[in-house]
Amino acid sequence: MTDPADIELNHRGIARIGRYQHLSIDGVEPNALLTLYRQMLRLRRTEEALIREYHPSDEMRCPIHFCIGQEAVPAALSTLVRPDDYLFSHHRSSGYFFAKHAPMREFFAEIYGRKTGANGGRAGSQDISHTASRFYSGAILTGAVSIAVGVAFGLQHQGLDSIAIAGFGEGATDEGAFWEAMNYVGLKKLPILFLCENNRYATYSDQLKRQASDNICERVLPFGVRSKRIFGNDVVLCQRTIAETMDYVRKGKGAALVEAYTYRWNGHVGPENDDVNEYRSEEEIQFWKNNCPISLLEERLLEAGYLDVRLKAVLESEIAEEITAHFQFAKESPFPSETDWRAMNWEENSPLADRLLATVSRSDFDERQTDAKLEPY
Amino acid sequence: MSVKPTQNSNRTEMIRELSYAQAINEALHQSMELCDQVVVLGQLVDYKAGIFGTTTGLVERFGSDRVQDFPVSENLMTATAMGASLTGLRPIIVHQRLDFMIYSLDAIVNWLSLWRFKSGGHSNMPVTIRAIVGKGWGQGPQHSKSLHAWFAHLPGLRVAMPATADDAKGLLLESIFSETPSIFVEGRNLFSMRAEVPAKPYRVRFGNAAVRREGKDLTVVAVGSMLPLVLRAASTLASEGFDLEVLDPRTLSPLDTDSIFKSVAKTGKLLVADPGWASFGTAAEIISRTAEAMGTDLKVPPVRICLPDSHTPMSAALESKYYPDETVLIGAIKKML
Repeated sequence: MTDPADIELNHRGIARIGRYQHLSIDGVEPNALLTLYRQMLRLRRTEEALIREYHPSDEMRCPIHFCIGQEAVPAALSTLVRPDDYLFSHHRSSGYFFAKHAPMREFFAEIYGRKTGANGGRAGSQDISHTASRFYSGAILTGAVSIAVGVAFGLQHQGLDSIAIAGFGEGATDEGAFWEAMNYVGLKKLPILFLCENNRYATYSDQLKRQASDNICERVLPFGVRSKRIFGNDVVLCQRTIAETMDYVRKGKGAALVEAYTYRWNGHVGPENDDVNEYRSEEEIQFWKNNCPISLLEERLLEAGYLDVRLKAVLESEIAEEITAHFQFAKESPFPSETDWRAMNWEENSPLADRLLATVSRSDFDERQTDAKLEPY
Repeated sequence: MSVKPTQNSNRTEMIRELSYAQAINEALHQSMELCDQVVVLGQLVDYKAGIFGTTTGLVERFGSDRVQDFPVSENLMTATAMGASLTGLRPIIVHQRLDFMIYSLDAIVNWLSLWRFKSGGHSNMPVTIRAIVGKGWGQGPQHSKSLHAWFAHLPGLRVAMPATADDAKGLLLESIFSETPSIFVEGRNLFSMRAEVPAKPYRVRFGNAAVRREGKDLTVVAVGSMLPLVLRAASTLASEGFDLEVLDPRTLSPLDTDSIFKSVAKTGKLLVADPGWASFGTAAEIISRTAEAMGTDLKVPPVRICLPDSHTPMSAALESKYYPDETVLIGAIKKML
């Protein structure tokens, strides 16, 4: 067994470790561990259920980017994020929707295109948001990172103690906008936590085909962004690292980034396997399945006696019941019928302007005036 | 949200003559005084030159927390304003030249314009984007583009093109304190032009055209910075006995088509003067909407006076041919009369 410090933390290094042996539950309350376990299991079972239902009934007529294999970061985050924090997610949104404790039945109804969905069926999985929960996402994902920076600006400006959190994949860091964000958060010491789930591939494209180095955490340091990289399938480590980093951000010390190396089991989008593109090896997929974030924790919980077959069955049945109820809610909900396109796109009410601004009669304009004379600048 | 009471009635009745730049400056001062949530972000907004005088005095009065220079990162600046608006701020961002704003198209097109829509109507981003369009003195192809038609093409945004000082103030205040994001396009050639401007903070609503001159022979819709030229031409033609009606749409999105149709119903003739390119542009849209609604009422084919489908030349010799002048405009109008 290698020392955790000996693991070279990048995708090549991690692939050499075999089965990860370092998940430690020492000093963590059993209930806290079971919460993490339950969150991951709930997310996994939800995704599996959605995959089962996706075809052939085709009632979910929207692209879904499943996050099976990437449960650890959102599960860890779910135990740390506050209701008044703002969370921005990439298009692989279900884990973060869970993490922000937004109502899951509205997630189901949204992807079924129903009126009761989080966004009335206008957004779908890759663009879903839940304003009351301060949860937002989007498929053009670096834009979400940039907007999260603006939230952090607004929070700092008003002296509020909540923070902005931006979850994204390593693909987002190809964009110039990402580095504009690093420059600015470093400059202003903005209260923002960046969670980079490095799953190696932007759709099919390997990070090392796109970037000269695969350690984003090192490249943000010169901007004044504190960073840490971790094995992203160790949920206890994820929780501890995110907690420490979040504490730094909450104390107003500046922006920070956690780079968690993880892996998606499914294809980029939809339930189908996209390995026909031959972008990753069967060996690599098997390595990551062998290091499933749920089974890594489950093994320790069983050893410690915090979990047994009976308790697992209870959890499974609670989760299954919940999922059944969400499906039922979604399928029984009406489709949206509103076609007032103007009201959907433009807010017509302006209460603040109504309160602050007078209405005046119009002045005349003297047309004998000449154009402004421009100067060299 | 803390909002301060309006000023005493003596001051609110006052009307003075201000330049377009001064009117914008006054709108910014008043918005920041009225509401602590208003912040101004933009490159060089806190220097003495004050973006052609429009941001002058703001940093001294409201402090560097509320009036901030920004890195040369227009895309992030736009996103910063958008995110800040979600926390309750009312950000105004400033582009000294509209051309630089193009760096922020992702933020505007993929996020800002559709934010309300994709939220299911649960969330708005009240952001105001000021963009100045250069004209003359060799501004050339990267300092002079007025891409108002691009922004008016997008659902979810409002686009203002104020031509007068009083509209500049009223539309800017309306943009800042309304809930829909606004693109506020300012013609640099208008900055010294003066008009009577009420001293109190007031609103000019989007989607309400102004009849700048009443007439019966022909309708000219004068968009933004074309208005002074069109009014001068109308004045010249009046001395020759031609009676033009000049309509200033004031905002492109929403566009007050009712006022345009009403005028065309009277005159039967439509010319649109637009400081943008002809192809797929604002003039085309106005003519198309009019033709769809009342094509058979048009006595002569409608005409567009726009910029040629070319980028802007630097040389003054070419510039003078590139921008339509009174002679070109009057020539086009006379053919229609």
